[in-house]
Amino acid sequence: MELLNVDSITMKFGGLTAVGNFKLKILPGELIGLIGPNGAGKTTVFNMITGIYTPTINKIYFQDRDITGIKPDKIAKAGIARTFQNIRLLENLTVIDNVMIGFHLHLKSNLASAILKFPSYVREEESIYHKSMELLEKVELEKFKLEKAGSLPYGQQRKLEIIRALATGPKLLLLDEPAAGMNPQETKELMSFIQKIQDDFSLSIFLIEHDMKVVMGICRRILVMDYGVTIAEGNPAEIQNNPEVIKAYLGVDANYA
Amino acid sequence: MSLNLFLQNVANGLSLGSLYALIAIGYTMVYGILRLINFAHGEIFMLAPYFLYFGVLIFHLPWWASIIVAIALTATTGMLSERIAYKPLRDAPRISVLISAIGVSFFLQNLAIVVFSGIPKSVHRPEFFTRLYQFGEIRIQSTLFASIIVSSIFLTLLLYVVYRTKTGLAMRAISTDIETSRLMAVDVNRAVSITFIIGSALAAVGGILWGLRFPQLFPTMGMIPGLKAFIAAVVGGIGNIPGAMLGGLILGMTEILFVAFLPAVSGYRDAFVFLILILILLFKPDGILGKKVQEKV
Amino acid sequence: MKKQNEKILTILALIVLGILVYLAENNLDAYKLRILNLGAIYVTLAVSLNLIYGFTGQFSLGHAGFMAIGAYVTSLLVLPPYYKEMIYILEPLAWPFTVIHAPFIVALFLSGLFAAIAAFIIGLPVLRLKGDYLGIATLGFAEIIRIIANNIPRVTNGALGIKGIPEFTNLWWTVGVAIVTIYIIKGLIESSYGRALMAIRENEIAAEVIGVNLTYHKVMSFTISAFFAGVAGGLFACLLTTIDPKAFMFVMTFNILIVVVMGGLGSITGTVLAAFLFNFFLEYLRPIEAGFNIGPIKIPQVPGMRMVTFSALLLVVILYKQKGLLGGFEFSWKGFFQFINKLFKNKRSSEGSAM
Repeated sequence: MELLNVDSITMKFGGLTAVGNFKLKILPGELIGLIGPNGAGKTTVFNMITGIYTPTINKIYFQDRDITGIKPDKIAKAGIARTFQNIRLLENLTVIDNVMIGFHLHLKSNLASAILKFPSYVREEESIYHKSMELLEKVELEKFKLEKAGSLPYGQQRKLEIIRALATGPKLLLLDEPAAGMNPQETKELMSFIQKIQDDFSLSIFLIEHDMKVVMGICRRILVMDYGVTIAEGNPAEIQNNPEVIKAYLGVDANYA
Repeated sequence: MSLNLFLQNVANGLSLGSLYALIAIGYTMVYGILRLINFAHGEIFMLAPYFLYFGVLIFHLPWWASIIVAIALTATTGMLSERIAYKPLRDAPRISVLISAIGVSFFLQNLAIVVFSGIPKSVHRPEFFTRLYQFGEIRIQSTLFASIIVSSIFLTLLLYVVYRTKTGLAMRAISTDIETSRLMAVDVNRAVSITFIIGSALAAVGGILWGLRFPQLFPTMGMIPGLKAFIAAVVGGIGNIPGAMLGGLILGMTEILFVAFLPAVSGYRDAFVFLILILILLFKPDGILGKKVQEKV
Repeated sequence: MKKQNEKILTILALIVLGILVYLAENNLDAYKLRILNLGAIYVTLAVSLNLIYGFTGQFSLGHAGFMAIGAYVTSLLVLPPYYKEMIYILEPLAWPFTVIHAPFIVALFLSGLFAAIAAFIIGLPVLRLKGDYLGIATLGFAEIIRIIANNIPRVTNGALGIKGIPEFTNLWWTVGVAIVTIYIIKGLIESSYGRALMAIRENEIAAEVIGVNLTYHKVMSFTISAFFAGVAGGLFACLLTTIDPKAFMFVMTFNILIVVVMGGLGSITGTVLAAFLFNFFLEYLRPIEAGFNIGPIKIPQVPGMRMVTFSALLLVVILYKQKGLLGGFEFSWKGFFQFINKLFKNKRSSEGSAM
């Protein structure tokens, strides 16, 4: 059964077609990359999958359920999580709160039991706390648990955003340029981190990246977009030798380079 | 309703509407540039007739001189309020500036109570302003003509400034993107000050015309017209100057016609205007002439 | 500090508070009691405004409207039927208001309930708006509520308002309600739902993507906030014994906003302090208005100086101390004892070096 089926969606903003006929099927356990020049429409694709935009034309299916145009919080409940290109952390909240909020959508206790601190709620809250600490330990952020999230260095903010997404218990994780702003060492760590969480949490991962080391290194399948359209799809070797891809990035016939 | 009565109401509506328009322009300009609802704008409007009144009665200036002085003083007050209460918060969260604006509004109101006393004052108007012109059965006060003529003149001047001068270009640049404008060496402070001066001056004109039309002054007289003028700006499209004028006229007309056609519920006239605001905000927040801006995620 | 110990300390503090209230009720004059009562009512009003504004980040300016609903509901329920018939001179009171009559606590609860229902209906469409637009829209609704009150004399006695409301409010009620308000709102904030509200404040889009239902949480916060504003309105009516639409103009919301901002957005401790300080100063600054002498200089009578001062103060706080006078500080037993420990540590070390 395919996990995600993006069925030729198109996104128009007024007269501008940001994304045209985007097609993608993701099976459980896959690690797929989406690359392309800036402005190609990659984040727009993410926004459509996560419900921030509604595709102008056609539909998206997740686990055989039509999720087109459903609000982001319901999509999160359905099992899709994402991170953002320019990191959207809850800056004035503590690091641990940023992770604990990820468990809120699965909270069983109702409002009254939470306010009045019934034992059933207290137990749930404690379980959330421990699970959050486990996630923090995975990225070695546990000692910063009471720091304000906004005060963390950039690289650690990224890691925090990723484990916050993991807290929601997704089956599909969308990462928007996770390696942005990282040095080579951090990038290597990120690559093994991504592969590790894929195993530990049985995830499918769909990521947007500009860093080719990451994309070619860990993605088994890659899509290339340019001007809103998919211009190539294949494994790393195929993509690296694809003349359309080279033209899109370099803008000129590479033979003359 | 007879045709004459209807036309009379239309005339009243236009008169009121042009006053709203003058005030609305100030709101829309400030919002366009700073994304701030200048809650204190209504108080700026209120101060002008008081300055006029004091000029004439205490300093015994001739009317025309007093009007100029009143406009100048009001414009200065507007500019100062920006310098003191809004400029330091330019990089602060929007809510802080909003609260500051509310603070300035109440500060000015209470200062007016202290300085001018809360007792309503009646302005003695020279005959020139109270003369009634008769058109068949319709009676129109000279202030109506004054409002419409003055508003049109100022609007034209304003559009000229905004679209044909460097200062206007700066203002338009800032309303599109303030950060980049700063980087492009646009003198943001100067442009903002000029915006406030112009907006306040227009509100002053509106206030003086209002004071001449409804010659009872009291320190809280700016609140409701101020709020309604803001609603007019939203109706026309916040940030859009012709929109403010259009919104003002529409709102004035609607208010008067509401009372004219439904006299039984005339007590609800203000509530009706607020209802318009809420409906516009919910269904067409860009107003009539505004344009939709997509938020990039 | 163990949770058990904290609970014990809180209970002890409440007992002390109870003793203080008892002493106050039986020893202070009516003037001082009124100020304390107002202070406690403002605590309820400001803490509830802080919930929707400081914690959820929604700029609501409609609080006075919910207060008004509560005030009228309580008044209509608490006045005996024959008396109501007497005071409704503009138009006779409509049925069923003529016959309804309820004990104070029921009236207060219903005040909150009706305010909450109004908030629910208003909030569903309006909370989609952001920032200034939400502020103006909620302000608009509060004004609409007030204008309606002015225009339905069959229910509210119109502009004349309602007089002779029994003076049920006393320090036990106001402090009691304030404590309940703090307990519930604190309980909400310190729960997963509170985290969700603060997430909305920090970054709405992120919150949604994490699975927080924006509509549910915003409306929930708004409704709970309005509930307590309504109860406060009821207390207010039975303290002042007369209410009319003019009491609920925007100035009222502005006063509550002053308290919230000065106390610090998102700080309950600060709000409590600010609520009382605000009312104390409001009263004790009255002499400024009557005119007084500083040595040879005679300062003339200036009515209205209080509000000028307050507005100026608000501006100063907003401009220079945006986190409120206490800088976002929140009281906790742990913090309290750490503070005491630090004091003693310094004392000991200075004694040691003296030897």
